[in-house]
Amino acid sequence: MASLIACPHCGPRPKEEFTVRGDAGITRPAPDAGEDAWHAYVYLRDNPRGRHKEHWHHTSGCRRWLVVERDTMTHAVYTVTDASAPGETA
Amino acid sequence: MADFALLHRPALATAKSGSFGAAFSNERITLTALPEGHVLHVLAARGSGDLTGLIPRIGDGSAHAVRAYGPGQWFVIGDASLSAAEIFGKTPVLDGKASISDQGHGRVLIGISGAAVEAVLAKGTAVDLALSNFPVGHSAMTLIGHISALISRTGPENFELLVLRGFAESLWDELIEMGLEFGVDAKTAR
Ligand SMILES: [Zn+2]
Repeated sequence: MASLIACPHCGPRPKEEFTVRGDAGITRPAPDAGEDAWHAYVYLRDNPRGRHKEHWHHTSGCRRWLVVERDTMTHAVYTVTDASAPGETA
Repeated sequence: MADFALLHRPALATAKSGSFGAAFSNERITLTALPEGHVLHVLAARGSGDLTGLIPRIGDGSAHAVRAYGPGQWFVIGDASLSAAEIFGKTPVLDGKASISDQGHGRVLIGISGAAVEAVLAKGTAVDLALSNFPVGHSAMTLIGHISALISRTGPENFELLVLRGFAESLWDELIEMGLEFGVDAKTAR
Protein backbone atom coordinates (compact mmCIF):
# COMPACT_ATOMS: atom_id res chain seq x y z
CA MET A 1 0.00 0.00 0.00
CA ALA A 2 1.12 3.52 -0.69
CA SER A 3 3.10 4.61 2.34
CA LEU A 4 3.12 8.41 1.91
CA ILE A 5 -0.13 10.29 1.34
CA ALA A 6 0.16 13.96 0.39
CA CYS A 7 -2.63 15.49 2.48
CA PRO A 8 -3.76 18.74 0.78
CA HIS A 9 -3.83 20.39 4.23
CA CYS A 10 -0.84 18.84 6.02
CA GLY A 11 1.63 17.77 3.32
CA PRO A 12 3.09 14.27 2.93
CA ARG A 13 2.35 11.97 5.88
CA PRO A 14 2.82 8.23 6.48
CA LYS A 15 -0.20 5.96 5.99
CA GLU A 16 -0.20 5.18 9.74
CA GLU A 17 -1.78 8.61 10.33
CA PHE A 18 -4.82 7.69 8.20
CA THR A 19 -7.87 5.45 8.40
CA VAL A 20 -9.12 3.99 5.11
CA ARG A 21 -12.88 3.82 4.70
CA GLY A 22 -12.90 2.24 1.24
CA ASP A 23 -14.43 2.88 -2.20
CA ALA A 24 -15.25 6.56 -2.75
CA GLY A 25 -17.23 5.81 -5.91
CA ILE A 26 -20.35 4.27 -4.41
CA THR A 27 -23.45 6.39 -3.84
CA ARG A 28 -26.01 5.91 -1.10
CA PRO A 29 -29.31 4.57 -2.53
CA ALA A 30 -32.67 6.26 -1.93
CA PRO A 31 -34.37 5.08 1.29
CA ASP A 32 -36.95 3.15 -0.78
CA ALA A 33 -34.47 1.73 -3.33
CA GLY A 34 -35.15 -1.83 -2.23
CA GLU A 35 -33.30 -4.62 -0.50
CA ASP A 36 -31.00 -5.53 -3.40
CA ALA A 37 -29.73 -1.97 -3.83
CA TRP A 38 -29.15 -1.61 -0.08
CA HIS A 39 -27.47 -4.99 0.19
CA ALA A 40 -25.10 -4.00 -2.63
CA TYR A 41 -24.42 -0.60 -1.02
CA VAL A 42 -23.63 -2.02 2.40
CA TYR A 43 -21.86 -5.28 1.55
CA LEU A 44 -20.75 -5.68 -2.07
CA ARG A 45 -17.38 -4.26 -3.14
CA ASP A 46 -15.21 -4.63 -6.20
CA ASN A 47 -11.55 -5.48 -5.71
CA PRO A 48 -10.10 -3.47 -8.58
CA ARG A 49 -6.64 -3.89 -10.04
CA GLY A 50 -5.31 -0.49 -11.00
CA ARG A 51 -6.61 3.04 -10.53
CA HIS A 52 -9.05 3.34 -7.64
CA LYS A 53 -10.63 6.16 -5.60
CA GLU A 54 -10.99 5.71 -1.84
CA HIS A 55 -12.05 7.74 1.17
CA TRP A 56 -9.19 8.23 3.64
CA HIS A 57 -9.55 10.00 6.97
CA HIS A 58 -6.53 11.95 8.23
CA THR A 59 -7.22 10.68 11.75
CA SER A 60 -3.94 11.72 13.35
CA GLY A 61 -3.56 14.96 11.40
CA CYS A 62 -6.13 17.52 10.29
CA ARG A 63 -8.99 15.03 10.80
CA ARG A 64 -10.40 15.80 7.32
CA TRP A 65 -11.93 13.22 5.00
CA LEU A 66 -9.95 12.96 1.79
CA VAL A 67 -10.40 11.26 -1.58
CA VAL A 68 -7.22 9.39 -2.49
CA GLU A 69 -6.86 8.18 -6.08
CA ARG A 70 -4.23 5.47 -6.19
CA ASP A 71 -3.16 2.40 -8.13
CA THR A 72 -3.78 -0.81 -6.23
CA MET A 73 -1.11 -2.61 -8.28
CA THR A 74 1.77 -0.12 -8.44
CA HIS A 75 0.95 1.77 -5.19
CA ALA A 76 1.30 5.05 -7.11
CA VAL A 77 -0.81 7.88 -5.64
CA TYR A 78 -2.29 10.13 -8.36
CA THR A 79 -4.39 12.69 -6.49
CA VAL A 80 -5.40 13.54 -2.93
CA THR A 81 -8.23 16.02 -2.45
CA ASP A 82 -10.52 17.11 0.37
CA ALA A 83 -13.76 15.13 0.24
CA SER A 84 -15.97 18.19 0.75
CA ALA A 85 -17.10 20.28 -2.18
CA PRO A 86 -15.06 23.50 -2.62
CA GLY A 87 -16.28 26.27 -0.31
CA GLU A 88 -18.40 23.92 1.77
CA THR A 89 -16.24 24.39 4.85
CA ALA A 90 -13.85 27.01 6.10
CA MET B 1 -23.04 21.30 47.46
CA ALA B 2 -20.91 18.80 45.60
CA ASP B 3 -20.17 15.49 47.31
CA PHE B 4 -16.57 15.63 46.20
CA ALA B 5 -14.28 18.58 45.82
CA LEU B 6 -12.51 18.24 42.48
CA LEU B 7 -8.86 19.02 42.96
CA HIS B 8 -6.80 19.89 39.92
CA ARG B 9 -3.62 17.85 39.78
CA PRO B 10 -1.17 18.68 37.00
CA ALA B 11 -0.93 15.73 34.59
CA LEU B 12 2.86 15.58 34.84
CA ALA B 13 3.19 16.34 38.57
CA THR B 14 4.60 12.90 39.34
CA ALA B 15 6.34 12.21 36.02
CA LYS B 16 10.06 11.44 35.89
CA SER B 17 12.26 14.45 36.52
CA GLY B 18 15.98 15.00 36.64
CA SER B 19 18.85 14.32 34.28
CA PHE B 20 18.98 11.30 31.99
CA GLY B 21 21.28 9.81 29.37
CA ALA B 22 24.55 11.24 28.08
CA ALA B 23 26.36 13.13 30.82
CA PHE B 24 28.58 15.25 28.61
CA SER B 25 26.90 16.73 25.58
CA ASN B 26 26.56 20.21 24.13
CA GLU B 27 23.27 19.26 22.50
CA ARG B 28 21.31 18.54 25.70
CA ILE B 29 17.53 18.37 25.50
CA THR B 30 15.36 20.18 28.02
CA LEU B 31 11.84 18.85 28.68
CA THR B 32 9.49 21.12 30.58
CA ALA B 33 5.97 20.52 31.86
CA LEU B 34 4.33 23.84 30.95
CA PRO B 35 1.58 25.59 32.98
CA GLU B 36 -1.89 24.10 32.59
CA GLY B 37 -3.67 27.37 31.79
CA HIS B 38 -6.34 27.51 29.11
CA VAL B 39 -6.65 25.40 25.97
CA LEU B 40 -9.53 26.50 23.72
CA HIS B 41 -10.46 24.54 20.64
CA VAL B 42 -11.94 26.94 18.07
CA LEU B 43 -14.00 25.56 15.18
CA ALA B 44 -15.13 27.67 12.23
CA ALA B 45 -18.77 27.57 11.21
CA ARG B 46 -19.63 26.23 7.76
CA GLY B 47 -18.90 28.74 5.01
CA SER B 48 -17.46 31.34 7.38
CA GLY B 49 -14.51 32.18 5.12
CA ASP B 50 -11.01 33.14 6.20
CA LEU B 51 -10.91 33.75 9.97
CA THR B 52 -7.14 34.03 10.42
CA GLY B 53 -7.46 37.71 11.42
CA LEU B 54 -10.28 37.06 13.88
CA ILE B 55 -8.99 34.09 15.91
CA PRO B 56 -6.08 35.94 17.63
CA ARG B 57 -8.66 38.31 19.21
CA ILE B 58 -9.79 35.61 21.62
CA GLY B 59 -6.21 34.83 22.66
CA ASP B 60 -4.13 36.52 25.35
CA GLY B 61 -1.95 38.34 22.82
CA SER B 62 1.13 36.22 23.52
CA ALA B 63 3.34 35.24 20.59
CA HIS B 64 2.13 31.66 20.08
CA ALA B 65 -1.39 31.88 21.47
CA VAL B 66 -3.00 30.65 18.23
CA ARG B 67 -1.99 27.28 16.81
CA ALA B 68 -3.54 26.10 13.55
CA TYR B 69 -4.80 22.53 13.75
CA GLY B 70 -6.60 21.85 10.44
CA PRO B 71 -8.84 23.74 8.00
CA GLY B 72 -11.10 25.97 10.12
CA GLN B 73 -9.70 24.66 13.41
CA TRP B 74 -7.32 26.23 15.91
CA PHE B 75 -6.12 25.78 19.46
CA VAL B 76 -5.89 29.02 21.44
CA ILE B 77 -3.53 28.56 24.37
CA GLY B 78 -2.38 30.66 27.31
CA ASP B 79 -0.91 30.38 30.80
CA ALA B 80 -3.89 31.88 32.66
CA SER B 81 -6.63 29.51 33.74
CA LEU B 82 -10.03 30.85 32.69
CA SER B 83 -13.43 30.29 34.27
CA ALA B 84 -16.34 29.04 32.17
CA ALA B 85 -17.77 32.57 32.31
CA GLU B 86 -14.53 34.08 31.05
CA ILE B 87 -14.44 31.62 28.15
CA PHE B 88 -18.11 32.18 27.32
CA GLY B 89 -17.39 35.92 27.40
CA LYS B 90 -15.16 35.54 24.36
CA THR B 91 -17.88 34.18 22.07
CA PRO B 92 -19.32 37.58 20.98
CA VAL B 93 -15.92 38.41 19.46
CA LEU B 94 -16.38 35.50 17.06
CA ASP B 95 -19.75 36.85 15.91
CA GLY B 96 -21.18 33.40 15.17
CA LYS B 97 -18.39 32.63 12.70
CA ALA B 98 -16.76 30.07 15.00
CA SER B 99 -17.40 28.31 18.28
CA ILE B 100 -15.19 27.61 21.29
CA SER B 101 -14.78 24.32 23.10
CA ASP B 102 -12.83 24.36 26.39
CA GLN B 103 -10.18 21.65 26.24
CA GLY B 104 -8.24 22.80 29.30
CA HIS B 105 -9.20 19.61 31.13
CA GLY B 106 -8.14 17.39 28.24
CA ARG B 107 -4.83 18.54 26.78
CA VAL B 108 -1.52 19.59 28.29
CA LEU B 109 1.59 21.29 26.95
CA ILE B 110 5.13 19.93 27.01
CA GLY B 111 8.07 22.16 26.09
CA ILE B 112 11.08 20.55 24.41
CA SER B 113 14.21 22.43 23.43
CA GLY B 114 17.89 22.08 22.69
CA ALA B 115 20.31 22.03 19.78
CA ALA B 116 19.30 18.45 18.84
CA VAL B 117 15.56 18.96 19.27
CA GLU B 118 14.74 18.34 15.57
CA ALA B 119 16.70 15.08 15.60
CA VAL B 120 14.88 13.90 18.74
CA LEU B 121 11.38 14.66 17.43
CA ALA B 122 12.23 13.17 14.02
CA LYS B 123 12.50 9.79 15.75
CA GLY B 124 8.76 9.97 16.33
CA THR B 125 7.19 11.90 13.45
CA ALA B 126 7.50 12.00 9.66
CA VAL B 127 6.84 15.75 9.55
CA ASP B 128 9.81 17.68 8.13
CA LEU B 129 10.86 19.84 11.08
CA ALA B 130 13.72 21.71 9.35
CA LEU B 131 13.50 25.43 10.11
CA SER B 132 13.14 26.18 6.37
CA ASN B 133 10.02 23.96 6.17
CA PHE B 134 8.71 24.40 9.71
CA PRO B 135 9.34 28.05 10.72
CA VAL B 136 8.76 29.60 14.16
CA GLY B 137 4.99 29.91 14.68
CA HIS B 138 4.16 26.88 12.52
CA SER B 139 2.11 23.98 13.92
CA ALA B 140 1.31 20.45 12.76
CA MET B 141 -0.96 17.78 14.17
CA THR B 142 0.77 14.43 13.79
CA LEU B 143 1.72 11.16 15.43
CA ILE B 144 4.78 10.97 17.68
CA GLY B 145 5.24 7.24 17.73
CA HIS B 146 1.70 6.08 18.47
CA ILE B 147 0.64 9.25 20.31
CA SER B 148 -1.22 12.06 18.58
CA ALA B 149 0.15 15.53 19.34
CA LEU B 150 0.13 19.07 17.98
CA ILE B 151 3.74 20.15 17.40
CA SER B 152 4.40 23.91 17.40
CA ARG B 153 7.70 25.67 16.86
CA THR B 154 8.24 28.53 19.31
CA GLY B 155 11.90 29.19 18.55
CA PRO B 156 14.80 27.97 16.38
CA GLU B 157 15.54 25.21 18.95
CA ASN B 158 12.22 25.26 20.84
CA PHE B 159 9.04 23.29 20.29
CA GLU B 160 5.85 22.78 22.31
CA LEU B 161 3.75 19.63 22.13
CA LEU B 162 0.02 19.70 22.92
CA VAL B 163 -1.04 16.19 23.89
CA LEU B 164 -4.11 14.51 25.34
CA ARG B 165 -3.82 14.58 29.13
CA GLY B 166 -4.03 10.80 29.54
CA PHE B 167 -1.14 10.31 27.09
CA ALA B 168 1.06 13.09 28.49
CA GLU B 169 3.14 10.92 30.81
CA SER B 170 3.66 8.20 28.15
CA LEU B 171 4.84 10.84 25.69
CA TRP B 172 7.04 12.38 28.40
CA ASP B 173 8.71 9.00 29.05
CA GLU B 174 9.18 8.41 25.31
CA LEU B 175 10.71 11.87 24.81
CA ILE B 176 13.22 11.14 27.58
CA GLU B 177 14.15 7.88 25.88
CA MET B 178 14.35 9.53 22.44
CA GLY B 179 16.74 12.13 23.83
CA LEU B 180 19.08 9.85 25.83
CA GLU B 181 21.91 10.03 23.28
CA PHE B 182 22.05 13.81 23.70
CA GLY B 183 21.28 13.90 27.45
CA VAL B 184 17.93 15.10 28.82
CA ASP B 185 17.02 17.46 31.64
CA ALA B 186 13.38 16.85 32.52
CA LYS B 187 11.63 19.51 34.62
CA THR B 188 8.20 18.78 36.04
CA ALA B 189 8.39 21.40 38.83
CA ARG B 190 6.35 24.48 38.11
ZN1 LIG C 1 -4.30 16.33 6.87
